[in-house]
Amino acid sequence: MTTTGAGTRDPGAVVIVGGGLAGYTAAIQLRRLGHQSAITVVDAEPAAYDRPPLSKRLLDDDFSIGELAFATAGELGAQGIVTRFRRSARSIDPERLTVTLDDGDVLEADTVLLATGGRPRRLRVPGADRPEVFVLRTIADAAAIRGQVRAGTRVSIIGAGLIGAELASSLSRAGALVSLIDPVEVPLEAAMGPLLARELHLLHRTAGVELHRDVIAAIEPTNDVDYAAGTVDVVLDGGGRVRSELVIVGIGIVPNTRLAADAGLTVADGIVVGEDLQTSAPGVYAAGDVAVRRLPDGTLARREEHWEAAQLSGQQAAHGMMGLPVPTRGAPWFWTDRYGVHVEVVGRLSGSGEAIVREDGGGRRAFFLIEEGLLVGAAAIDDPNTVRAARRLIDQRVPVDARLLGDPDIAVRSLLTATRRPETRGTHA
Amino acid sequence: MTEGVIVARVDEIDDGTAITVDAALIGTVDDIAVFNDGGRFYALDDTCTHEKASLSEGWIEDGVVECPLHAGKFCLGDGEVLSMPATRPVACHRVVVEADTIRVIPNPERLRS
Repeated sequence: MTTTGAGTRDPGAVVIVGGGLAGYTAAIQLRRLGHQSAITVVDAEPAAYDRPPLSKRLLDDDFSIGELAFATAGELGAQGIVTRFRRSARSIDPERLTVTLDDGDVLEADTVLLATGGRPRRLRVPGADRPEVFVLRTIADAAAIRGQVRAGTRVSIIGAGLIGAELASSLSRAGALVSLIDPVEVPLEAAMGPLLARELHLLHRTAGVELHRDVIAAIEPTNDVDYAAGTVDVVLDGGGRVRSELVIVGIGIVPNTRLAADAGLTVADGIVVGEDLQTSAPGVYAAGDVAVRRLPDGTLARREEHWEAAQLSGQQAAHGMMGLPVPTRGAPWFWTDRYGVHVEVVGRLSGSGEAIVREDGGGRRAFFLIEEGLLVGAAAIDDPNTVRAARRLIDQRVPVDARLLGDPDIAVRSLLTATRRPETRGTHA
Repeated sequence: MTEGVIVARVDEIDDGTAITVDAALIGTVDDIAVFNDGGRFYALDDTCTHEKASLSEGWIEDGVVECPLHAGKFCLGDGEVLSMPATRPVACHRVVVEADTIRVIPNPERLRS
């Protein structure tokens, strides 16, 4: 092992299983922290690439692995990061710290990071395995959907969460005839608060997307002779039938915990990790969508699935593997792009507290939730800097006045500057 | 002859904000964003290298601009990427502050040929 960094632990040779955002970030962060030994990233995918555009820009012209990749093989090589793409890990041995690949190769490690992410949750109804039914998680999934969609293609999207909603936007913009099916009247209320969730959900209807509030009973071939083979009916529990050439299921993900479970690691709704992102097996860490953190009081945190959470988790894992203090996290933040609007959300917008809507003359709206004089959540449509300011108000626990926050003539950033301690920014008096 | 173009007076760009200089006006391939971060002025290509967004509308703080779209972070001083999703740096231009004027000297590699 090469001695590296100033941490209390030398990770030695690191094998990272999973080259998505968390795994890739961990690799880069290890190098930034001065780690010099071997790093190998294993992933069944063709590259380490960015996934948000898969739903948001699905039908755009510049959609390619080259555009989506975080780095070229050459750039990774220059950082001394060895990649084993198009290979998956078959098993890990937590005692000997080895990773066995599907081609029989055994990678020897001193530290293993599991960043295996999640896979789309499958619909459990008759016909869910028909060839007309797709999911979206990888670039291959995206390419398969792209290959099926033309102007006028009838597409049913099952699930109106972030992925389903963004797909509805991308596909309807490309001229597909989209039906969006979800049992909830206003999806995403818990994630973005009832006011914003409702406003965004209405955009579907404005764009001509047909909304069905229902659950799926079955997916059946269409018997009608006027329709080509490969057309199906999505049969709704309420009795309706939605004729579709393509069905896309977006009902969440299931964490890929099999490797960890087979190796005897503690697994709940994800691979359980401590504050330093180490699993129950010494030398084995987990990060990203697949990891679930045990809090100091022994309870498990909610597993996170947003982009930034994966990025920060990868950074934290690198610190943990180096035995360095793990950087603290602020309020969770995410964005969604649909129907030409850019929405950002930070913190919590549902549950207890005082909800405030701020509306400027131009129709721009921001949403806040205050509890006990502190901001706990904020969101805005096409007004990212209000959310970036709110995020700092939340993380720095700056007391806020509901009246000022609701006043569109007062920039939210000024609330931060006014109360910021002078030493945080030298040039300010 | 003095190099570059006077783009603003120092009091025309508030702290924590930026202006854009039209590419056609300054002769570059992209608009240039001129930032005021705590009284220090910086100039970068305005378009984020990740997706089409104007960095002049980003969050400016502590020598960093955060893209308004997906929060990729760039160093104001040299345009280097500090945080994904951006992976390629933005071009950086020289800024000269004389008395109360801000002059930008475009990066020769970013001049329109």
